[in-house]
Amino acid sequence: MAVERFLQPRASSWMTNDGKNVDIAMSTRIRLARNLNNFKFPYAFTEDEALKVDKEISSVLLDKGNELDYTFSHISIEELAELQKEILVEKHLISPYLINSHHSGSVLLSDNEELSIMVNEEDHLRIQSLQSGFQLQQAYKIANELDSLLEKNLSYAFHEKHGYLTSCPTNVGTGMRASVMLHLPALTMSHQIQRIIPAISRLGMVVRGIYGEGSEALGNVYQISNQLTLGKSEYEILQDLENMTEQIIQQERRAREAIALNSPVVIEDRIYRSLGVLTHSRLLTTEEAATCLSDVRLGIDLKMIQDVDMSILNELMIFMQPAFLQQYADKPLQPKERDFARAKLFRERLNRNGINSEGEDLA
Amino acid sequence: MICDQCGERSASVIVKQQQQDQIVKVNLCHICAAENHSINIAFEQDPLAIHQLLSNWFPNSQASINPVRKEVATCPSCGFTFSKFLRIGKFGCASCYDAFSPQLNEIFKRFHNGNTEHNGKIPASYGTTLKIKKEIEELRKQMQISIQGENFEEAARLRDEVKILSAKLEGGIPDGS
Ligand SMILES: [Zn+2]
Ligand SMILES: [Zn+2]
Repeated sequence: MAVERFLQPRASSWMTNDGKNVDIAMSTRIRLARNLNNFKFPYAFTEDEALKVDKEISSVLLDKGNELDYTFSHISIEELAELQKEILVEKHLISPYLINSHHSGSVLLSDNEELSIMVNEEDHLRIQSLQSGFQLQQAYKIANELDSLLEKNLSYAFHEKHGYLTSCPTNVGTGMRASVMLHLPALTMSHQIQRIIPAISRLGMVVRGIYGEGSEALGNVYQISNQLTLGKSEYEILQDLENMTEQIIQQERRAREAIALNSPVVIEDRIYRSLGVLTHSRLLTTEEAATCLSDVRLGIDLKMIQDVDMSILNELMIFMQPAFLQQYADKPLQPKERDFARAKLFRERLNRNGINSEGEDLA
Repeated sequence: MICDQCGERSASVIVKQQQQDQIVKVNLCHICAAENHSINIAFEQDPLAIHQLLSNWFPNSQASINPVRKEVATCPSCGFTFSKFLRIGKFGCASCYDAFSPQLNEIFKRFHNGNTEHNGKIPASYGTTLKIKKEIEELRKQMQISIQGENFEEAARLRDEVKILSAKLEGGIPDGS
């Protein structure tokens, strides 16, 4: 089945540790929303239209993808098992919205998993381009080239005044949402993030934390994205977002320096405790794992920890989620069992990769 | 109570969210609540609760009856009414943009920092058409100026140019260029 290759607990290229500012910027994403002329949008269309839209878009991508050196796999959502759907969501290749949709939808994935085209999500087309680190221009270039290929072969819903027409009024115009995932432990510890978030929202951009159980940002990971899609060109939107992201990265660096200077022992203790938890615990909740991952990441950035590969941490952030754990265990797991499986995953991945774990593994 | 996010299932939890300086309470069904608590925010999940904002902005339009014309704005293509658009916060098709156009500028301004017009990429096929339309607009303006200045020869020349371009538009534009 076409989907199998995408379900493996193997890192996608955008999870690796390449690119500018990778110590703080984890990944970059560009999303373009597009609709076809002559079909009602997904909130109003019939199942018959949904199937036709899927067929039109898929056949272009499958036939012409090679013009851009891509090979796409077409995956129908309704043909997937529940766990498979959840794994694709956990890997950020499809959205939760797509799997809960009432009509036929699909996703076309490039072999390197850097391009994911969702069909019949909230719009007929959601082109998604993923890159590691902080690479807005590169991610946009890839999305834009694919978009241009599609528009040569499909008729887009476009309005002279309003631009690309979308289901949601918040996406109209460029249809573009650009975002960067940022790891901001020092700005979080020093509470500066609470000042930054409202200030940015006044500038047509938004910063959001990845929420855990009703608490603060899970693992100190935040997403910054453009809010505004109308009135500015793609280029201007990307410039604004790039400038703002660079400023945040600089502030995070300064905050890190301050912490390392003011309380070196406290921070070192915290980092090594977290490394200890990840390499030795027997029960690990999502929240604890995310917190400890954040500390260990910071430890690597501050050169306190030398023998852990950052890419493994990026992978673990993805693979510690429930569906991946259940696939790894090859059976359904209750929440407590997941915590056990998660702890096991961390011990295996981290100890295998060079950390000399002192103390016997008695399990 | 209906879930604020999907507008379909019944709400079972109340979630407080920080939205642009203010705390907003959102009623969610169990499925949408679970989504909000997942690690995965790579995908936007209506962070603004769009229909909620819309109904705050247009409290009276919920009735959807235009007090002057006493009629309901309805999209002829998909059948969405303006009040349905406000309720779910989504368009049903491309024609909705024309059907609801009197109110849209106001809505777009609020979502997009005062902007109402697209300034970005144009699909290649529309590119030529748009360019010609803009040229025609410009020529017409010049023509008016010529007429006001009683420069009728120039006005006639401009009128002929407009004719040629209009014919090009109606005949459709060949690909590319
Ligand atoms: Zn819901
Ligand atoms: Zn419509």
